This record gives sequence, structure tokens and C-alpha cells, in this order.
Amino acid sequence: MSASEAAAEWDALARTAAAPAGDEETELLRELLCFELDGTPYAVPVERVREIVRMRAITPVPRVPDPVCGVIALRGEIIEVVDLRLRLRLPCAETSRRTRIIVLHGEDGRVAGLLVDAVNEVLRLPEDAIQPAGAGDSESVAALCQREGRFVSLIDLERVMDVDGES
Amino acid sequence: MAARRSRSRSSKGPAKRPSQSKAQREFVSEAEEILERMRGDLSDLADQRAAGGDVDPDLVNRLFRSAHSLKGLAGMFGLESLSELAHHLEDVLDGMRLGRVALDSPAPNLLDEAVAVFAAELGVLGAGPSAGSDGAALQDLISRIDGAVQAPADRDVELTDLDLDPALLRALTEYEEHRLRENIRRGRRILLVEATFEILAFDEGLAELTAAVREAGEVLSTLPSPGAAPESQIRFGLLAATERDAESVRAGLDFPHAAVRSVYEPPVAESRRQPARVAAPAAPQPAAPERGPKPPASADIESLKSISDTVRVDIRKLDELMNLVGELVIQRGAIGSIARRLGAEPATARVGMELDKAHKQLDRKIQELQAGVLEVRMVPLRQVFEKLSRVVRRLRRDLGKDVRLELRGADTELDKLIVEDLVDPMMHVVRNAFDHAIESVEERSAAGKPSEGSIRIQAFQRGNHVVIEVADDGRGLDLERIQARGIERGLLEPDATASRRELLDLVFVPGFSTRDEVTETSGRGVGMDVVKNNLTALGGVVDLESERGRGSRVTFTLPITLAIIQALVVGVADQRYAIPLNSVLETLLIDVSDIQQSDGREILNLRGDPLLLRRLADEFGLTGGGVEKPNVVVLGLGDARLGVLVDRLEGQQDTVIKPVQGPIQNVRGIAGATELGDLGAVLVLDVAALIEDALRRREAA
Repeated sequence: MSASEAAAEWDALARTAAAPAGDEETELLRELLCFELDGTPYAVPVERVREIVRMRAITPVPRVPDPVCGVIALRGEIIEVVDLRLRLRLPCAETSRRTRIIVLHGEDGRVAGLLVDAVNEVLRLPEDAIQPAGAGDSESVAALCQREGRFVSLIDLERVMDVDGES
Repeated sequence: MAARRSRSRSSKGPAKRPSQSKAQREFVSEAEEILERMRGDLSDLADQRAAGGDVDPDLVNRLFRSAHSLKGLAGMFGLESLSELAHHLEDVLDGMRLGRVALDSPAPNLLDEAVAVFAAELGVLGAGPSAGSDGAALQDLISRIDGAVQAPADRDVELTDLDLDPALLRALTEYEEHRLRENIRRGRRILLVEATFEILAFDEGLAELTAAVREAGEVLSTLPSPGAAPESQIRFGLLAATERDAESVRAGLDFPHAAVRSVYEPPVAESRRQPARVAAPAAPQPAAPERGPKPPASADIESLKSISDTVRVDIRKLDELMNLVGELVIQRGAIGSIARRLGAEPATARVGMELDKAHKQLDRKIQELQAGVLEVRMVPLRQVFEKLSRVVRRLRRDLGKDVRLELRGADTELDKLIVEDLVDPMMHVVRNAFDHAIESVEERSAAGKPSEGSIRIQAFQRGNHVVIEVADDGRGLDLERIQARGIERGLLEPDATASRRELLDLVFVPGFSTRDEVTETSGRGVGMDVVKNNLTALGGVVDLESERGRGSRVTFTLPITLAIIQALVVGVADQRYAIPLNSVLETLLIDVSDIQQSDGREILNLRGDPLLLRRLADEFGLTGGGVEKPNVVVLGLGDARLGVLVDRLEGQQDTVIKPVQGPIQNVRGIAGATELGDLGAVLVLDVAALIEDALRRREAA
């Protein structure tokens, strides 16, 4: 079930991504995958996303920091899942039909899952629409960008994935 | 020994000559067999050439393989000149197959001679070391072969004259190009047949079209065609050689959409240009050209050089295969449980039984498949041993110590991945023995030992494990010093009487006795914790035994393969864990009241011996669970024992242990995880770590 669903989901995302292809060419566009957490929009760079899967049974792992909620089996791979709500110290929430696990691959090839409330869309933005996070922002947020007047927080994946030395 | 040596034939290190007599006898007998086969094939080849027709490519293939085997064999036994001769034979045959060496050139004639010379050399070898070989004749033959091979094959046809997209021409393999030239030389017409297929069913359609075109002539190559194909369709072009014209071929095809056009027309009058040898067999022609080459499924005829009896495979490919087998195993488990469920219902009992029967048969086949894939991954320890003996040779030179290295069981096989990771820890142990354990000559003679020290490495299989022992006859460990050091480091109570085992185990404590007195006098302990960690990562254990003045022995016990293990699935509270079955000694159903307390620990009277117990729920901080009649899984590794208390036993499963990917790389007590059908991910316990932690806690208590 998962593979085709994920493919369909990707397809839809890819289509939205391709739709507003107006005046690119000259501008360097960044692609961001937007998702929702406690009613707030967040984003990660699309190139770090390997796939998006629906919520599935997560096997808890003992002796790990709280934000690591366990492991999932994905086509023979065993992948740790980090509950981003816990990691960002947001209140816990029940999983819903919209809950998704974003499977990321790190620059070093390490794979990890990120549990989020819902995945919304792929944003294409010019590089200069992304501004570094101000001093007041959480240190898990690397940058901000705007989407129809609302700010979207770009997650600092390196920091968020460093669950061991949790800040 | 699949490695093909390159043409430049870099010298492969000092050629090792295993004990002359027996090894050479083996070589001679094996080589003779191959030569015998080649003589037969060569005489067939001579017949075919005399008949003037096409030469059967299979025949040349076979000859090539034989030459290749001879080369490998000679190389393995360090017989440089014979290996070189075989190498040249290979060149000639390869050239013949690819059309670089014409059949009427002098080169093929040299094949018989080469086989004769090879046989003569073998005779010399068989006669013993006193007989001399005719090196000059050999070299002369080799240089003549070289000359013949390098004579340019006549390439009278310019392929650029063809009415064909140059990109298509470039896509042809060397063999396909050779067939193309050959057919042009024979005055055949070259056609391009193009057709479009539905992507979903193209293989069927393509096979039909290929078969139909083959009715008319030889299919030289199948190429994806660039032309615009509508979505969900794919276009192919078949390059074919035929005596018939485009229109008649077109008419013969039952493919309304196929387009046929001629890309090369033979010159009408001057078919005299054909070499004489083909002119003769006009009569029995019809079937002949099609018989030889099968339709080029391009890849497998790419180059003859890649056709030999062995292939080299990327270990990652094997891992993928292994993963697939692992998934099959999981599916098999699912089918088994469906069969059982059906069997339990009276209404479906019959079907259940039938399914169960089919399941058992599937099971057998999967086991065979599993065994087959595992076998491919297995490599002998020889390569590790060879590295070790190189290191010892160098140490001997550098340190001026007289140490003999004895190696036994080099043929013992282990998973390739384990063998790779075994080199470092073994190197470490051997170096330790050499550096520290073996005394100086003076010391040795004072102790009444032979002046030559000895390091003996022995490998053998024991059940599902491979055991490797590294034993030296050096000074052994000074247990008193270790004890003193242990007390100093706070690892031992000053007045406690530590057992021999406990003292030896201290050697594996990180940082214990690094670069201090104990190391210098006892000769061991440097980085043994690293060795131990390496072994643990491979699912193995390391044991140390030592006797003062007599020597030490380090024993590695390793699983034969990392790939598939049998696991016992246990349940604690609402969680499940898998325990590698090879470290489970037994399981016991007990009553909570059987558990006794001793010194703050829980123990069980196991047939008179105390068995230390640990509750898995406590170990992993699980809440809930706890039953009146728990199960005890008795774990054993080496000599250590531990009883693990769990709520339920849930059965045995074949599983593939996978590493856990994610931000937390190592969780103490967890070796990895596995996917168990509809249970999803199940964590696999690290038995070695659990035992070790429990024992350490006991000592701390």
C-alpha cells in the first residue's frame, strides 16, 4: 500500500511544484516541502526529502532520548523516527489521518524519519525570499520565508537530528 | 580466483609456491584435463574451417574459456611462462570471436601448436624438478602469436556508408559490429525494421517481431529507436541482414505497423570480393548463417572477455539479493500463519492443510535459495591469513625476532563482510603476540624454550560458528600484576579475591593497562577493548586464556554469516523483541515463586547451579506486563550465562538483522532490528551486551 500511495502523494506535490512555473529561468529557486506542526507551517529543503509515508506502527526503542519515538520498517529498512513536536518542545498530540512521516536523507547518507502533523505543499521560492532566522527565533529554525503573508520556519535539520546532544 | 590479470600483467607480488609436489600434481592433472578438452574443440574447429562455413561461436567460446582457466590455474601456481602462453591463447581466441583475427590468418594455426607446447611443458613439470623446460621455444611461440594477432584484420567495409544514424552505429557492441561487417562482406542486404510497442507488453511484441524477422535473415542487433513514440509506447529498431529485399521482408511480417527500410544494398555484380572460403558452401547455405549467433541480447555478448566460468559480483548486489530473500522469508512466515489459521477452522481445515503443504514446499525451496545466496557470499579465510603472514614477515625483519607463524584452516569459509572486518582485530592480536608476548631469544633460552617463538593461528567451523584461535608460546599474562593494576584503577576491591576469569576480563576494559608496566611485562592489553568491540559488531565474542610462562590464546567465535539468523521472538508488556537463537541455550517456564533473592539480585536454581536473572522489562524501562508464570530465556555466549525474564514466547522466525538508521546510532543492548511480517519493526537484542552489563552489575554490587 505504502509505495503507491507515497508515489501518488509525491506526484501531487510535484504537480503543485511545477504549476506556478512562471518566470523562473533567470531566478534561482529553492524548493521547500511545507508541513504543519501545532497549526504552524514549517519547511525542509525538498532535496533532503526521500519520501513521505503515512503513519504506521512505530516500534518504541528503549534507552533513547524522548524525541526519538521509535523505529519503522520501510521496505526492509529500519528507520528511526523523531517526533518533531517533542523535539521542538511543542505539546504532544494524537496522530490523525493527516499525520505523516517525512523520510529524510542526510548529507552523509544517513536516513531518518520526521513525524509531523500534516504535509501541505512544495513551495518554490527565489533564494532571496528566504531570510536567516533572527536572534529571537528557536535555534531549530534556520531561516524564515513568507507564504501569503505568513511566515514559514525552515527547520535546521542538522540541529534537529542531533537528538543526542539535545539543546 | 576470478580475477583476470590485465594485459600488462603486473607482477602479483611474490608468487607463492605451495609445497611443490602435491600442489603441482594437482595443477598438472587439472591442466591436462583442460588441454584434452581443447584438443577436441580444436579439431572440431579445424573441421569447420576446412568446410569453409561459419565457425560456431560456441566452440570458440568454449576454447576461450579453457584458455582462461589455464591462465588462472598457471597464475595461481606461480607458473609465469605458462600463464603468459595461456594469456596469448586467450588473445587469439578473443580476437577470432570478435572478428579481429580472421579465420584465414595464421593466428588460428598457432592454436594447435600452443596446446602442444603447453602439454610438453606440463610433461616437464610432471617429470619433476630435474627436467628442464624449453623456455626458448615457448618465448618464440609467444612472439609469433603476438605477431599474428596484431596483423590487422581486413576491414574493407566502411560502416559510415550505411544509411544509418551514426548514433545507432555507435551503440553496436563490438560483436554486433563484427557480424554486421561479416554480413556486408557476404553481400547481404542490411535492413532496419522499426516498430512501436505498448510499454506494458513490449517484451512480448518485440520477441514476436524478432522471431518473424529472423525468418528472413539474421537479426544483428535490437536498438531502442529514437523516433517519436506516443506516450506509453516504446519504439525499437531491429538491424537485420538478409538475402531478401525490404519489400518481401515487409510482406512476410505480420506486423502492420512495422516499417522496413534498407540501409545497405549489396553491390550487384561484384560479389567476387567475398573471401574465397565462403564461396564454396552455397548449397547447404539456408540454415547455416542463422544457426550460430543467437539474437544478440546485446549485453551478454558485449565482449567475449567477460565470458568465463566465474563472475565478480559487487557485494552490495549480494546484499540486495539477500534482502530479497529475507523478504521472501517474511512472506513465507505470513503464508504459514494463514495456513494455520485456516487449518484451525473446521470449515476451512481442508484448504488450510493444502496451503500448509504448499507452504512447506515453498519453505524448502526458499531454504535452498537462502543457502545458495549465502554460499555465494562465503569466502575462505585464506586472504586474511595471507595478509597476516605478510605482516609477520615484515615484523620478523623489522624487529629481528625469530617467530614462526603457523596457519591452519585457511579454507574455513566465512561471510565476505565478516572476513573484511576481521583483518584489523586479527592483525592487532598477532602484532601484540609478536611484539609483547614472544620473549627475546635470551629470555627464551633461559626459560628453556626453543629459541624460535611460535604463533599458531587455527580456524575451524563449529556448528553455526567459526572459531579462530591465535595462540603464542610467549610469556603469558601476569595475573598478579593485572590484579594490582585493577585495584589501583578501582576496578577491583582491594581485599576481594578475583577469579582468574575476572582478572583476564580486565584486559578488555577500555584503557586498561595502556602503555604502562603491565603492558610491557605482560605483553597484552593494548587496545584489546577495541578488538572486542570489533568482534561484537560482527556478532562475535572474544575469549582470552593465558598461562604464565607458557603463552596465551585469544579465541574469536564468529557467526558464519551476518545475513540471516534464526530468532526467538519474545513478548514483554506490549512489546516484542527478537533474540538470536544461536545464543539461546534453553527456555524455561517458571513460577514467580521460583525466583530467589541473593545479595539483592534475582537468581534461579537451574539444576543445581545459580543462574543470574534479569527482567527485560526493568532493563528497558517498560511498564505494564509481568505475569504469574514468566518465561526464562537462558542466554549463553562463551562461558557466560544469563537468564532473561520475559512475559511470553512468541515463536521462532528466520530474520535478517538490519542496522537501525537514524540519529541515534548505537543503543546499548540493541543489535539492530528486523521486519517481521505484520508486526512491523522488531528490535533484536544484543545478547553480548546484555550479558556483559548484567555481569558487570553483579560485580559492582
